[in-house]
Order: sequence, then C-alpha cells, then structure tokens
Amino acid sequence: MYEQFRDIGRDIYLAGLISSHGGNMSVRVGDRILITRRGSMMGRLGPGDIVETALDRDDSEVALASTEIIVHRAIYAATNGLAIVHTHSPNTILRSMIDDEIVPIESEGSYLLRKAPVFSVAQTAGSKDVADAVSAGLKGYKVVCLRGHGPFAIGTVLEEAFQWISSLEMSCTILNLADQVGRPLKEFREHGDEYGKW
Amino acid sequence: MHGYIGRMLFVDLGERSSRVETLDEGYARSFIGGRGLGARLLWDLAPTGMDPLAPEAPLIFATGPLTGTKAPTSGRFSLTGRSPLTRTVLDTNCGGSLGVRLKSAGYDGLVITGSADQITTLHVDAQGVRFESALDIAGLEVAAATAALDGGSRAASVAVIGSAGERGVLLATIMVDGKRALGRGGMGAVMGSKNLKAIVVHGTGERPGVARPEDLDFFLYEVKKQLAANPVTSTALPAFGTAMLVGVLGKRGLMPAMNYRESAGEYVDALCGERLADEFLVRRGGCWGCPIQCGRQTKTAHGVGHGPEYETIWALGPNLGISDLSAVIELNYLCNDLGLDTISVGGTLAAAIELAQEGLLDSAEARCVGDPPAVARAIRAMAAREGAFGDLASRGSRALAESCGRSEAAMQVKGLELPAYDPRGMQGQGLGYATSNRGGCHLRGNMVGFEVLGTPKLVDRAATGGKAGLLIVAQHLGAALDSLSLCKFSSFALSEEYYARLYSAVTGFDLSGQDLLLAGERIWNLERLYNIREGFTAADDTLPTRLLSEPNDEGAVVDLAPMLAEYYRFRGWGADGVPASRKLDQLGLAGLEGDS
Repeated sequence: MYEQFRDIGRDIYLAGLISSHGGNMSVRVGDRILITRRGSMMGRLGPGDIVETALDRDDSEVALASTEIIVHRAIYAATNGLAIVHTHSPNTILRSMIDDEIVPIESEGSYLLRKAPVFSVAQTAGSKDVADAVSAGLKGYKVVCLRGHGPFAIGTVLEEAFQWISSLEMSCTILNLADQVGRPLKEFREHGDEYGKW
Repeated sequence: MHGYIGRMLFVDLGERSSRVETLDEGYARSFIGGRGLGARLLWDLAPTGMDPLAPEAPLIFATGPLTGTKAPTSGRFSLTGRSPLTRTVLDTNCGGSLGVRLKSAGYDGLVITGSADQITTLHVDAQGVRFESALDIAGLEVAAATAALDGGSRAASVAVIGSAGERGVLLATIMVDGKRALGRGGMGAVMGSKNLKAIVVHGTGERPGVARPEDLDFFLYEVKKQLAANPVTSTALPAFGTAMLVGVLGKRGLMPAMNYRESAGEYVDALCGERLADEFLVRRGGCWGCPIQCGRQTKTAHGVGHGPEYETIWALGPNLGISDLSAVIELNYLCNDLGLDTISVGGTLAAAIELAQEGLLDSAEARCVGDPPAVARAIRAMAAREGAFGDLASRGSRALAESCGRSEAAMQVKGLELPAYDPRGMQGQGLGYATSNRGGCHLRGNMVGFEVLGTPKLVDRAATGGKAGLLIVAQHLGAALDSLSLCKFSSFALSEEYYARLYSAVTGFDLSGQDLLLAGERIWNLERLYNIREGFTAADDTLPTRLLSEPNDEGAVVDLAPMLAEYYRFRGWGADGVPASRKLDQLGLAGLEGDS
C-alpha cells in the first residue's frame, strides 16, 4: 500500500498539480483510513508519512493526519469511494474562480467527466463546510472543485482518483487557453451544449 | 500603554504593606511581560545566594500584554521565583482566570515578598490588598480551601496551597481555581514558607485596551482559521486532551515506563486518550478565552475531578507499573487536592521503587509497584513528610537517590524530575532536557512538534545534526509565548509571525516575528545568567546516566555531547556554556554578566 501512495504522490508532484507540501491522499481499508501525514511532501513520501486512523471517529492519530481528514471521512461516509486524491491543480483552481461549474470542451474531459461542480466555501481548508459540500458533490460526480482551493476526486484505488484530477486539469488548461486565444471554437461533439446538464 | 495596565503591585507580607509602582516601559518592551518580566524582576530583586524559602525570596506573578485580550488562549499568566527544588530560576505558567482577574483589577503583576507572622490569605482588588487570617482554612486541602474562599463566585480567582505546601514539601504546587496548577519546581513550598495559604484576586472583568482594534480583528480571524484547521488544536486536543499523546508517543516507543527502564507500549490501550474520553470524561473545559478546550473534567466510581494530563497518566501509570486508568485518575485527584506536582511525585516514587528493588532503600512505601493503594499511601506520606520515607521523598528524587548512594536512579536534570518523553528516541528532546533553564522539562522548548507531530515540519527524530538550531528556536518561541502570555498549544497551529501581529495590534508597538524571537532569546539568556550567578555551570547541562548509556528498544541512547557543543556554539556562548559578552551586547544585556 505504501508503494501506491509513494508512486501516485510522486506523479502528482511531477505533474505540477501541487506545491512542495500541498495536497493529500487517502485509502479506505475496511473501517480504517490510511491518509497522508499533515505537512508531508507528496513528491517524496516515506513509510512514516502514511497515518492510520479510524473511519468514523477521531482517535489520537488524528493529531498527525492531514488537515483535510474531516473532508476525507465525510466523503467516505457519503460515497462508495475507496480512495481520495486532493490536489491544488493550478489551471483547475483558476477555472474554479471563473465558472460555477467546469464543463470540459475537449474530447477526453467530455468523455470521462462531462462536468465538475464548483463549490464556494469561505474557510477552504479542513472545515465542516468543506466536508459537507465536497462529500455531497461527490455523490454525483467523480471529481468536484473547491473554488480557489482545488479538486477532490474519488476512485476505487488511488490511481483512478488521480486520473480524474489529471483529466480535469487538462480540461481546465484547454478552457483557459481558449480564453487566452479569444477566437470562436468549432464544436465537434454531438449534444456538445448539453454537458452542463450532467 | 495599550495591552498593559502600567501598574505593578508589590506586597510585603512581613510588614503587611503594599505599594503600586509604574510598570517600566523599557522592561515591557524588552521582556514583553509574564515570564520575561518575571525573569528581569527576579534578577533585580533577588540577592545572590538567596535561599528560595527565605522571606526575601520574591514570588512574581506577571501577566502578559495579551492576557485578557480577545487573542485565543490569552487567559494565562506566569509565576517566577527561585525554585527550592532545583535552586534554578523557575517560571511556571498557568491558565485558569487568575491572570485575567489580576489585570482587570488594575495590575500587570503582583510581587510578594516577606513572611507573614501567621497563616494568611491575601485578597487583591482594584482598591489594593487585604490581609486576612487563614487560620480557619489552615491544613485544608485544595478543594476545601478553594471552596471556602471563592464561595462559588465567578468574579474571583483563587490560588491556594494544600497541606503539602504548608509543610514545605519541595514538590508542592499552587493550585489555581481548584483545577489548574502552577505545577513544577515546588513554588507551593515557597508560598508556604511565607505563611501564605491563598491569594484571592477580585477582578472587574474589564478587558485591557487595544491600540489597533481593526487590525486585531483581522489577525484574530486568520488565527482562528489556523486553529480551526489544524487537527491537533481543532480535533485531537479537544477530543482527547493531552492524553492523545499516550497513543501518539506510546505506539512509537517514545513513552517510557518504570523509571525509564522499559518502554510503555503495552500500556497504551489501557491508558489512552480514547479510553479516557469514552469511559471517564464528564465534560471538556478550558482556560479563560481558549477555543482549544483541552481540559478534562472526569469521574470515576469514587469521585469527580480534573485531569489527568498526558504527563500525569505517564507519571502515575507506566512509570509506577500501573495500567488501571481509573486508579491513575484517582491518584491524580489525590495529588491535585494535596497540592503536589504529579510529574515529580511519579518520578520520585519511580526512583524509590527502583532503589527498593535493588535493596538500597528499606521502606514499605517504596514497595508500591503496580499497586495503586500503596502508591496513594506513599503520596500521602510525602505530602505529610511523614516518617523517614515521607520526609526524604518530599525533597524529590535527587535527594532520595543521593541518600541511598545511587544518584543515577533519579531521572532528573538539575533536580527536576523528567517528564514523559523518552529522549533516546527523540534526540532533540534530550538536548532540550539538558539545557532547560529550570531543569528536566518539556515545556521550555518542546521538540515533540519537530520530532513527532510534524509542526511546523517533521525531522528525523533519531538524528542529532541540526537539532541544536531547531531547539534554540523552540526555546525562544516558548519564552516569548510565556511572556505574551499565550498557551504553547496554540503553536501547533501558529508561528511567530501570527504572535507578532497580535502583539503589535494590541500594544501598538510594532514588532516582527524576528523581533519576537529576539525577545525570547533575551529572556533565555537572562535566565541563564541567573543560573550562572547562582553557581550553575555547563556540568549541570547533562542527562541521567541511564539515558546516555542504556539503549532503548531501538538500541539508541542520547548522543548528547555533540549536540551540546553545537548548542553552545550556535547560541554564541563559550564552550563553558557562558554567554559571550558580544552576545549579551547584542541582546541589550551587557553589564549583567559582571554581576554573575
């Protein structure tokens, strides 16, 4: 299990989706959660950077767990996800400060995600408001975004959750580039204007 | 001055007199308040070689500029004096509401000297002081004396000593509001030596003025956000109190047992914070103005009380071979009521057990390993200084072990019993114990943040390189927080830049984070100069032999020598541990070394 954390964490960092100490990941194993340590570097995780704590209640190990532990617990309580990845993906963050929902316009994002909701919460880290909004959003979507903060994604394994985060970042990069280009885009999809209904 | 009242109250118990002096603004700016102000006043007021139990020995109660403001955890104050246990400078920091009430009564601090001719209660209010006979409460333990004095009033705060303090037990505490302790170093004995049973402070509840209220509101918003987001301050401490460390440290081999002869991993499930919360917690509580609420009101089958903290669970649990949490809680209640420091009591009894097992101490009280009723009897004997054991043990582990001809059995530094972090697994903590100005203590520069909790960043706890530099910063920040006065637990979520902004907004004195740490360094060096003046040398900056030569389960001992050499060098001190003149010039302490 540690190797999965290490490898996905490294990929996330090298993809530029977090700063040196940003982001967090967890895996649900039965009634327990394995979660990255608060303040750990996702790009160079060691065995001591994975903290085991309870799924549904606090225990003393929560003192070491990611600040977002409350959000991870709420997501596991509300969804059937078995893994969670949260990053500070730059293009996704920028897009979340423009749109109320992110609707990809390119093929991969349209096919995989269709749409990612954006939630706006004043205290963006580790609060109950974040936990409530994100866990509710992930009941209907693979990945959701906190405005100005970044995406949370669920999967059956860490790799899957990472995939949704990565695809969303690609979609947002294209959306932001399209804004910069400022030229009319030619639609290539059927029902292209209906993905927002997803 | 904003943040400060600008008035210091001086009381002479022997003369039954008092006077108010203007707070020296230069002292306030240089030493902040609280612990720093206390260190400076101790330097000025205490004659060299002063007996800590002599009438001239001052008890210096000092608030900080943030005491009583809207800053979270600001319901704190410091007591400074010379410890009768360690004979070092001794500051001890406390919550409750006494500091807030003292300030709202119109004083930044209260300095008590002299000795009353009969046991006395000192009342302090905005009009001044009253000396009342305490004959009616003499001999009463803490709960009964507190109840007799506060009468259930929420407008007064009460600091009392139990029978241990009255009898001069060097492990005696001063208990505030019946539940918070000025715990370490035996300041209860100093109060007892002055025939002072209690101090009652009647405050008005008014908050001190703030220079820049709009700035303060924004900084408080950011501070509260950090406290709310950090799992230590928002979740672990509120849910489990400091007992959360039983699991965090015990599972990592960092909680010792049986006088540091064993590791306490097997005790974790029985004594952890989760069990405390599930089976014994009545309600959470906190000091005045604190959102963390780490305090515990608990109950057992036999009573209700306050505590235990992590250190107490360890000191009266694994350190004595006890795994019954209910029994540990009741032993905590007993110590609180007698007015005894649980860490030093546990450390002294653990040494007694070891000495008895080795045949060096022939005492029924010392045959108490794993036996809570026997431990309770031994504690009562210590508080009463009853019999040969009680009298000897009332002077702490060092005196006890030396009397048996085996000083190594005392797990202490400079006479202060060690707390509950095994430094063989936390090298920096070992250096912290060795260099603490008040002896073996985790609160003068706690490395648990760096070495276990990852606040602000996690470093290799087994490494020695670089630890001196980190410890120095932790010691300076601790001194600054004790002087502001804020709770150190806030520093799990906050750094010096937050504290500096709070200080600047409250006082109007612009201060950067670096300035704040510099003030901490000034305080640390002044305390060091005091100890040097009283005869302490580099030879006292050491650890018990066991920690230097007997490996823990991971095969580690504390590699102290190289860390200590770095520590002196990084501090700008000589190899003899004496601050160099250049350093004192830099800190504005030039000239004081000539007095040492």
